[in-house]
Amino acid sequence: MGIFEHQDRARTRTTVLVAYFVISVVCIIAAVYIVSILIFYNAHANQPHGSLPPELVLWDPAIFLYAALGTLSVVIIGSLYKIAALAKGGSVVAESLGGRLLSPDTADPSERQLCNVIEEMAIASGMPVPRIYVLDDEPGINAFAAGHAPGDAAIGVTRGCMTLLNRDELQGIIGHEFSHIANGDMRLDLRIMGVLFGIVCLSVIGQVLLYSRGGRDRNPLFLLGLALIVIGSIGVFFGRLIQAAISRQREFLADASSVQFTRNPAGLSSALQKLGGTGSRVRSAHAGEASHMFFGNGMGKSFLGAALATHPPLAERIHAVDPSWDGKFHRGAITIDEAESSPGSEGHL
Amino acid sequence: MSPLQITFGLLAFIAITIVTSMVNTLVTLRNRFINAYAQIDEQLKRRYDLIPNMVETAKGYIKHDRETLEAVITARNDAATANISAAANPGDPSAMHVLASSEMTLGGALGRLFALLESYPDLKANDTMLRLMEDLASTDNKVAFFRDAFNDAVMAYNTKRKMFPRNVISVIFRFNLAESFSIENTEKRLAPKIPLS
Repeated sequence: MGIFEHQDRARTRTTVLVAYFVISVVCIIAAVYIVSILIFYNAHANQPHGSLPPELVLWDPAIFLYAALGTLSVVIIGSLYKIAALAKGGSVVAESLGGRLLSPDTADPSERQLCNVIEEMAIASGMPVPRIYVLDDEPGINAFAAGHAPGDAAIGVTRGCMTLLNRDELQGIIGHEFSHIANGDMRLDLRIMGVLFGIVCLSVIGQVLLYSRGGRDRNPLFLLGLALIVIGSIGVFFGRLIQAAISRQREFLADASSVQFTRNPAGLSSALQKLGGTGSRVRSAHAGEASHMFFGNGMGKSFLGAALATHPPLAERIHAVDPSWDGKFHRGAITIDEAESSPGSEGHL
Repeated sequence: MSPLQITFGLLAFIAITIVTSMVNTLVTLRNRFINAYAQIDEQLKRRYDLIPNMVETAKGYIKHDRETLEAVITARNDAATANISAAANPGDPSAMHVLASSEMTLGGALGRLFALLESYPDLKANDTMLRLMEDLASTDNKVAFFRDAFNDAVMAYNTKRKMFPRNVISVIFRFNLAESFSIENTEKRLAPKIPLS
């Protein structure tokens, strides 16, 4: 498979996954509707002076309208709130991760090389030159792109990237970050996080209803609250799985686009191999919330492992870029302090 | 006016509109590749500025192989001249051919200079030299990426002007065939790989 086939496949899969995401929201609305119908029926059936229990009507347009509008407005308002909170410029994110802004005419040789490589990739990808940050306290090999539009994007690179990688490898990584900018991954990510938060809001409202129950035992709001908590939690669980799957497709797409920009698969392949041998863990306290933005997996193993991983297995990525790879990782040219290096096993990447 | 006159008038108006829009499309496409060349030109000028500095630095170390240095300077001057005529007339076949061949000569001369560096470890480790080589490598890459954009723009223009009925229009209004800037080098780089860490 060539790089363009790889790109097409990743794009198609993203579309399918985004469709799943929309379907999940539809399922949530359906679940809320069914629960409302049952509660409504239950409340009617238990009317003390009711003569005959009413028939269970499965289709009630009024209840459907309330359920759909209620659920949608919670999800949409929650999403917009979260998106507004997250949509800060790339430099805010870069600085929160401990990044130091580089000046384009720096005298330091490796910083100068980094700036040059970033300018080259800006040309190759047709994007404006972003602000450039270095994470001085990070010895692992990693990089990220942040910001919600190409105009305010920032690219950050760990110190490990600059000391351990040669020019071609650095170019491969920077090309990867540029394709996140060019493919609009940051915006896609932001929207998905927003909708996920909206689903979380559903659970929160469920909790509020649960605790607001009054003196009566058969408070229908109590049941609705319980149902919303369950529906919200299941929704968030599947939402996370889909979010991670989308993120992994965007990584494949970014790798393939990087090769398109640099026209040098060997550079990216070799950078990924060094990442496998050296580790990509980012130590900053804020790394968790930004883990999806990194070049390599920034975090340790997660509970559900592969299903919730924001990045595909490293070996799979290298094989996609370079089908002739022998399966061995190698360490960076300069050996780094053992105490500093994180264990470089394939498992945690 | 008779109905016949009105019909002729309308037909003439439609014909003029169509021809104008075709000419405009070709002008837009031509401007696009001329613009793309302006960016190549900027990087090439930077490259031609860096090379004499590099030769100056190297002169302090290289005592015996002076002819390699002189060859680089000669090739650089030829390429700079070729670029001036190419920039004046981007896409002109003869100008682009001269530029491509002089750039290849320059690439060869630089390759011999870099090979020579192996025998001068002090020069290879010199800070100024390292910085110049890094900047030269980056400029070469930028030229290569801008060249891709230029060649794509040239191809888009050539394809449009070849198709009927634009081919008739191009002959009448002198939209000449443009030439891409191609370097016959498997590495697709102007210069041979610059030895950088």
